[in-house]
Amino acid sequence: MAEDLVLDTAIRDWVLIPLSVVMVLIGILRYFVSKLMRSFQVPDPKIVKEGQVIVRARNLRAAANFIPPKSFRSRRVYFSNEENGLLFVPKGQAQNAQAQMFSDPNMAMDMMKKNLSMIIPQTLTFAWVNFFFSGFVAAKIPFPLTQRFRSMLQNGIDLSTVDVSYVSSRSWYFLNLFGLRGLFSLILGEENATDDTQRMMQMSGFGFDPSKSLGAEKDGLDIVQHEWALPKFEHRAEAVLKKLVS
Amino acid sequence: MAGHSDSSSSEKKSSEAMNDLPIFSAENMQNNMKVIYYSRTFMSIIGGVIAGILGFTSLMGFVFYFLVMAITSFGLIAKAKFSVHSYFDSWNRIILDGFMGGLMSFVLFWTFAYDIVHIF
Repeated sequence: MAEDLVLDTAIRDWVLIPLSVVMVLIGILRYFVSKLMRSFQVPDPKIVKEGQVIVRARNLRAAANFIPPKSFRSRRVYFSNEENGLLFVPKGQAQNAQAQMFSDPNMAMDMMKKNLSMIIPQTLTFAWVNFFFSGFVAAKIPFPLTQRFRSMLQNGIDLSTVDVSYVSSRSWYFLNLFGLRGLFSLILGEENATDDTQRMMQMSGFGFDPSKSLGAEKDGLDIVQHEWALPKFEHRAEAVLKKLVS
Repeated sequence: MAGHSDSSSSEKKSSEAMNDLPIFSAENMQNNMKVIYYSRTFMSIIGGVIAGILGFTSLMGFVFYFLVMAITSFGLIAKAKFSVHSYFDSWNRIILDGFMGGLMSFVLFWTFAYDIVHIF
């Protein structure tokens, strides 16, 4: 090590540990608050019906090879029949459903609430860290980085000769932000969505699914080549029995 | 590690090994994925603390991380009784999944332990 700075134990006691503890507690708080604030949305029966039809069509596609060809074909016609097939949606109607998703005030409010509950604690904590814990070296990261990271990691410290490994508390905050995700998933049960991007992807996928995926399922179903697996099973059973008998 | 074996014991068979056309029970697959994720996160946290206490720096630390991940993979494969295909749909899942997520936790706890033990 070029220079081995010795840092005050007070920094450890009053900066590193409290910051981590605060972030863990805020994460737990956010989890419970989001649980409480989740407004129960009455599911629209039409949407649910469409969803179930999609699930049925998907099951048919996945297990197509286990039923005789004729029954597969009759099921397929039931789904993709032009007149009253369940999956056939005329173009105009499909567009409507999407527009409705957008203008539905409830869903928009829900998404806004979730986004806010994610952003506000982060912003507040960041401001708090900046105000109280700036201007000194907070920690040393155990691996060396290039000089370009200096401005990003050391922005409170105005000496340019200090090793880039000595970082300010802002970078400790970011390190905590990313690293505690794993810890949260362990102590809070399944995915508690402290990761904004994952959450937003989930949310946006849900709203538009019914209208587009009906067409997609219908196409998928039309494409399936039916290849009945029974002959293969008979061969397999024969092989197994032969092995047992001999 | 009681937590580790607890979650691993709920790995379920997710495919019929007898068919020529493998079918995967989605729910069981998801459960197995979760088990892998939890195991990796836990091991990377513990690994980070160990690396920090032992004073590994830079390259040694990352090598240690790969080592810990390899041990986790091996443990998972051993728990699946070496027949990976009846629990997961591809080799990549059990070996590479959760790698990057674990890295961030590892670095955090590594920095933490290293600082507490060596600098302060």
